[in-house]
This record gives sequence, structure tokens and C-alpha cells, in this order.
Amino acid sequence: MKKQNMKVKIPQKPSLVPPFVASIFSAIIPGLGQILARAYSRGLIILSSFLTIGGLLAWRIYEQGRRYQDIKTMISKAFQFSPILQIITILFALLYIWIIIDAYFTAKKSNTGSRSYGTGLIFFVLAVFFLLGWQIGDINVGDFFSQADTALPTIGRLMWPWEKAIDRPEEILTISADVLSPCQEEEIPIVEALEDEAYISISPTCGNPTEVDGTPGTEFTIVGGNFNKDVEIEIWWKDPNGNEFRQRQEGEYVKVMPDADGNFQVKIVMPYRIISSTIADENKIWEIQARQLLSVGEAQLSEEFTLAVEKMIETIIIGMMATLFGVVLSIPISFLAAKNLMSENFLTKAIYYIVRTILNVIRSIEPLIWAIIATIVVGLGPFAGIIALTVHSIAALAKMYSEAIEGIDEGPIEAIQATGANWLQTIVYAVIPQIIPPFVSFTIYRWDINIRMSTVIGFVGGGGIGFLLQQWIRLLDYRAAGIAVWFIAITVMILDYASAEIREKYN
Amino acid sequence: MLKINNLTKIYDDGTVALKNVSFTVTDGEFLVIIGLSGSGKSTLLRCINRLIEPTEGKISWNGKDITHIKGEELRCYRREIGMIFQHFNLVRRSSVLKNVMAGRLGYAKTMQSLFGKFSEEDKEKALHVIDRLEIEEQIHKRADELSGGQQQRVGIARALMQDPKMILADEPVASLDPVLAHSILSNLEKLNQEDKMTVICSLHYLDLVQRYATRVIGLREGVIVYEGTKKDIKAMTDTQFKEIYGQEAERVGGGLEGTIA
Ligand SMILES: Nc1ncnc2c1ncn2[C@@H]1O[C@H](COP(=O)(O)OP(=O)(O)O)[C@@H](O)[C@H]1O
Ligand SMILES: [Mg+2]
Repeated sequence: MKKQNMKVKIPQKPSLVPPFVASIFSAIIPGLGQILARAYSRGLIILSSFLTIGGLLAWRIYEQGRRYQDIKTMISKAFQFSPILQIITILFALLYIWIIIDAYFTAKKSNTGSRSYGTGLIFFVLAVFFLLGWQIGDINVGDFFSQADTALPTIGRLMWPWEKAIDRPEEILTISADVLSPCQEEEIPIVEALEDEAYISISPTCGNPTEVDGTPGTEFTIVGGNFNKDVEIEIWWKDPNGNEFRQRQEGEYVKVMPDADGNFQVKIVMPYRIISSTIADENKIWEIQARQLLSVGEAQLSEEFTLAVEKMIETIIIGMMATLFGVVLSIPISFLAAKNLMSENFLTKAIYYIVRTILNVIRSIEPLIWAIIATIVVGLGPFAGIIALTVHSIAALAKMYSEAIEGIDEGPIEAIQATGANWLQTIVYAVIPQIIPPFVSFTIYRWDINIRMSTVIGFVGGGGIGFLLQQWIRLLDYRAAGIAVWFIAITVMILDYASAEIREKYN
Repeated sequence: MLKINNLTKIYDDGTVALKNVSFTVTDGEFLVIIGLSGSGKSTLLRCINRLIEPTEGKISWNGKDITHIKGEELRCYRREIGMIFQHFNLVRRSSVLKNVMAGRLGYAKTMQSLFGKFSEEDKEKALHVIDRLEIEEQIHKRADELSGGQQQRVGIARALMQDPKMILADEPVASLDPVLAHSILSNLEKLNQEDKMTVICSLHYLDLVQRYATRVIGLREGVIVYEGTKKDIKAMTDTQFKEIYGQEAERVGGGLEGTIA
């Protein structure tokens, strides 16, 4: 055996057709030439990759240019919308040519007995698939980065939601004064400054609103005193119909900060009249208000926070109950699904196969889908979630338990029997020690999965924190949603750690 | 005294593992059973303590027919016969102590034993046996943390807990290296010579057979094809050897270090 002779020589039958003919065949049906050169698997791989790539490419072109009847415009439009398709088409053409050339050399090498392996071809095909995947997956890295900017504030609220966790009871201090519009004979007297009580005084005491054509309304000067310092003051209107709205100036809400003595002064222009109504004609008194938002009393946990805690507990309970039910129900089933116990006779074998098949079907359906089915039966709420997770757990656990039973070493059993132990003693000393560790480990693993699943099962109505999370996201309340996300993350992390520790012990 | 008459074992799938096997083992013997893999050694040993039900024939122990005994009677018979195995057959995740204590199950009260309770004498006995086999340092380790030689000693300790009159050893050293093999077999020899226990042991290595056996039985395809004394085996000829091991077998190195099959 000489080391230099590294090329693999496979003794084989010569090609059925001469190289040139093989090329022609591959030009008609890609891969056929290779097959005729007796490189069967190579030919089949080439044929199937050619067909899949061609099919996917045609589909994408049709998809992009589907509005155009004429094939030529369809293709050119598709290329215009999605330039990557051009590259793929070129590569596809190259692949076609390469297959033809490859057929020639494959047939030639077949005759001489040596053959190269198509590593290059495989890489080429993979590259084309990758490009197609890029196009089909609608991957747009540019978008990802350019839009990340606008999403940042929202993400920020999600990641640091704790402002929402605490509620400060608040009170609004409202001080108001009336003005007339339009001006009339009898006037409202200007409010006098007060000594030790908050007040506002407005001048003039009558005026006109801003007109629709843009003519600005009367400018009022508001002077106020004895307000709380360091707390912003908002200016509000209450029209004769009782509608309240905030004063805007140049698009911004008007806010003033009182000085160190609690005094302020601000000028505002009377806004549009929003509604022209009949009552308004009789009652012409408008109210200008200066409002301060004051916090009173102790800060306390917000409603969202307490709700999230409650739902998190519910979530953990859902996961635990489902695991408990799953364990209890799957143990008997696992005996029916253990091959070594069930190969006694035809009947037991039949039961074994039936049970296994049912378990496989149940397991292949995701818990979220089971939850949707369960909500149809028992309605929304945690019970539906428990049912869904229990069903899935039974199937998953029964399979794992039965494998643990199948993996029992017969040796210790016969050794314990040989000591004169009876049946019960044999079970306790030789069987249980063997199945307890895998059982515990699988159960903890399931429990872990169930709690993870129970955090999202609420998305489809299965109760738990997922339900809140989904609601808050829909209401665009990202801070509250952030609290839920944090709770989920913390719970899952603790769980991860705990389950790893326990499983380590029982290994 | 163990007496075996016309023992035949046919497995459910029709394999004839033993055919008309008859022999007698007198107390204090170190009987070695040799034979190719598949010749029926394990089946024979397991028929003796009824882990496998014989199809035909008769086994008697100290004059009593035990071929068909059941329940309590079978358990009392089994506990007089210790067994050790090629793969040790320990409960791998249990501690050494627990594995050793399991040897006493045939004597213990069922309910108490289920909760791991044994009498003080039993515990003392365990410590004594563990001491004797020099595994006291491993006592609280899990069985699967031990080396092969140590595990086999735990296996012997478990058998000794039964106060056995006879020990069955199914290729006890086949998974150990030669040095350990000698150490384990010396343990058995000691039990045989000092404690007067009868030993029936199947072995693969010819030099070990020549060194430890007081009598040898050769099996081939479930039939006894050879019976000889210690003297006979030392003077064993190639023809006899081939009769046991089939035509393809060669006697390696002409003797002591040779391995068979
Ligand atoms: N449980 C069983 N079912 C069917 N055939 C078996 C079984 N156990 C052993 N045999 C067969 O019986 C014969 C004797 O096996 P065994 O006693 O294990 O031989 P040894 O221990 O000498 O290698 C072999 O042909 C083996 O294949
Ligand atoms: Mg064997």
C-alpha cells in the first residue's frame, strides 16, 4: 500500500454511452447523462437539485411579476423588483451548463475507472439555495437597522418598565375663572388676588375665539398666585357645553412653571370653537382653568404590577398541575408503551403499537394547538391551559418513561432474584433504583417545559400571564407588557437553574 | 451435594441449550465449567438456582428434589446458593452498602426490607463481609464509581451475605484483566478452602482453569464432552481440547498462558 496513491479507484462498469452522448442527454434532462454513465446517485442528486432550484426560481418570478400576463414582462418586472432573482437565474444557467460538462467528464472517468466526488457541485447548489432562501424569506438587513431606530423607545419601555410598577395616588388642583364670549353688556369682574389661597385672574374677561379662516382670537393674560412650586401648571378650557380641552399654542400644550413664590403669568390666545351649537348661544360663559397634578400619599404597587404577580402565580400553577396530572396519567401508559414488557404475545404487541402511535400523534401537535382545542371545549381560562399541557405532557412523558423502562438492565434483577428475594423486594431493590433517576430527570425536564409553555399558552386563551401580555401588547401598553416579560424571564431563569440542579443530583 | 440428572433446556425459540446433562458435585469441590461461547454454561448455572426453568431432568440439592419447588421454598433454596456474574449485575446507582445488604433479602422481613431496614446483626455482617473483601473505603460510593475488580468484590460480598453453602460464578473474571482475575479467583479459592463452600465456576482462560479447578466439565453445544480431574486437565491433550472447543480452536502457546476461544 503506497501512500502516494491517494485517489480512490472504484472498480466499476464502464459508462453505457460515450462522453459526448452523455452531455447531450444531460442537456435534455439534467442528470440523465450521469445516470447513463452509471453514476446513479450523482445523476439523481443533480436532477433533483436542478428541478427544485428551477421550480423555486419559477415560483418566485411568477410571485413577483404576477400582475403581468405576458411572460417576458413578467420576468423583466420580477428582475426589476428583486434584483437577486437575476443573480439566481444566472447561477441557474451556469449550473445547467456545468451539469452538461460534468456529464461528459463523468462518462469519461467512468470508462477509465477513476471518479471525482462532487463537493464543488454540492457547494454550488447550496449557495444557490441560500440565495433563494434569502429572497423567499424576505430578508432585508437594511430595514432591520434603519427601523430599529424608530422602535427603540418602545423597546426601551419593554426593557425597563418599572415606572409602571409603582403608582402614586394623584390629585388635580383646578383653579378656574370665567370669561365671556362674545363680549356683552354686563361684564365679569376681574378676580382679585387672594392672600393664602391659589387663584387666577384673567384679563380681559371677554373675547372672541380664533376664526376658522385663521383670524386669531383674543389674547388673554392669566396671572396666578399661591400655586405649588416646582409643579407644572397646565391650562385648560371648558366651553359653554362643558367640553374640556387643553390649551395649545403653536402645536404644543401650554405648560408653565410657577416661580419660587408659586406665582405665574402666561398669555394665551382663545382657540377655535369646536362646536357651534344652539345651547351655546344662550350660555356664553367659558371657563379657563389652571391645573396642577399633585401626588398625595404613599407610593404603592401599581395595578398592573399586582395583576402580573397574580397571573404569574397562576402561570406556575398551570405548569405544575399539568405536570402533576401528566406524571400520574403517563406512568400507567408508559408500561403499555414499553417494548420489553409488551412483547409477550400478539395482543400485547398490538397494544404496544397502538399506544405508541397515539402517543406520537399527540406529541407531534404543539401544546398551543391543544390549548386552542381545549378552549373550544371548556372556554377561555387556566383550565384550558392545564388540559392542553396535560395532554402534551402525557404523550411526551409516557414515551420517555417507557424508554427508561426499556433501558432497564436485567442483570441486577436476576442477581437480586438469585439472593432469594421475593417479587416485591426485587421490584424495590432492582427495578425502582434503575427507573427512579430517569423518571425524576424527565419529570423535572417536563415541569420546566410546562412552565415555559404556560407563559405563552395564554396567547391563545389558556390563562396565565400570556393572556395579560398579549392584551397589553395589543393595547400598546409596552410598559405593562415589559413587566410581564420581566416576570416571565425571571421565573424561567430560576426554573432553569433549579431544574438543572435537581437533575444533576439524580443523574 | 448437588446432583443433576438428564438436564435438558430448550428455549421458547427452539434453541436446545442443554441436552441430557448429568453430573454430581460433592461438597467442597471447585468445579470449573469450560466451553465455547454459546455452549450452554450460563444456562446450566442458571438452571441450578432456577433462574431458568429446566425443560426436562432433575436437580437435587442435599438429597432434595428442587426441580419444581415454588414460592417460599424456592426462595429458601436460592438463599443457600450465592451467585456472581460476568458483568457483576450490581444496581449501578445504589451505594456499595445497599448492594451488599441486598444479599440478605432472602432472610429479611419483607415489609422492613422494602423500607431499607435490616437487623443489627445483618448490618454487622455486612460490615464484616465488606472488610473481608477490602472494599470498606468504597462503602458509601455508588457502585458504578468503582473499578471492575472492586465491583466484582461487591458482587462476592453480596453473595456472602446469603451465608451460602455453594457459589455459582458465571465467568466472573471475563471482564477483568489477568491480574484482577487472579485476585478475584483467589477470593473464591479462599472461600472454597477456608469456608468449605462449594464453587461452580465457568471460565474462559485455560491457565486459570489449570490453576484453580479441582474438577473440570467441558460443554459443547449443550452436551458434556469432557470430564476430568485437576490432574487430567494439566495433562490435557490437543484432541480432548479440540473436542470441547471445536476443530477451529488452537491451543495458544501450548499451555499455561493460553486462552481458549
Ligand atoms: N433467552 C434465550 N432465548 C433463546 N435462546 C437463548 C437464550 N439464552 C441463551 N440462548 C441460547 O442458548 C445457547 C446457550 O447459551 P448460553 O447458556 O448463554 O451459553 P454460554 O454461557 O456458554 O455462552 C446459545 O445458543 C444461546 O444463543
Ligand atoms: Mg454465558
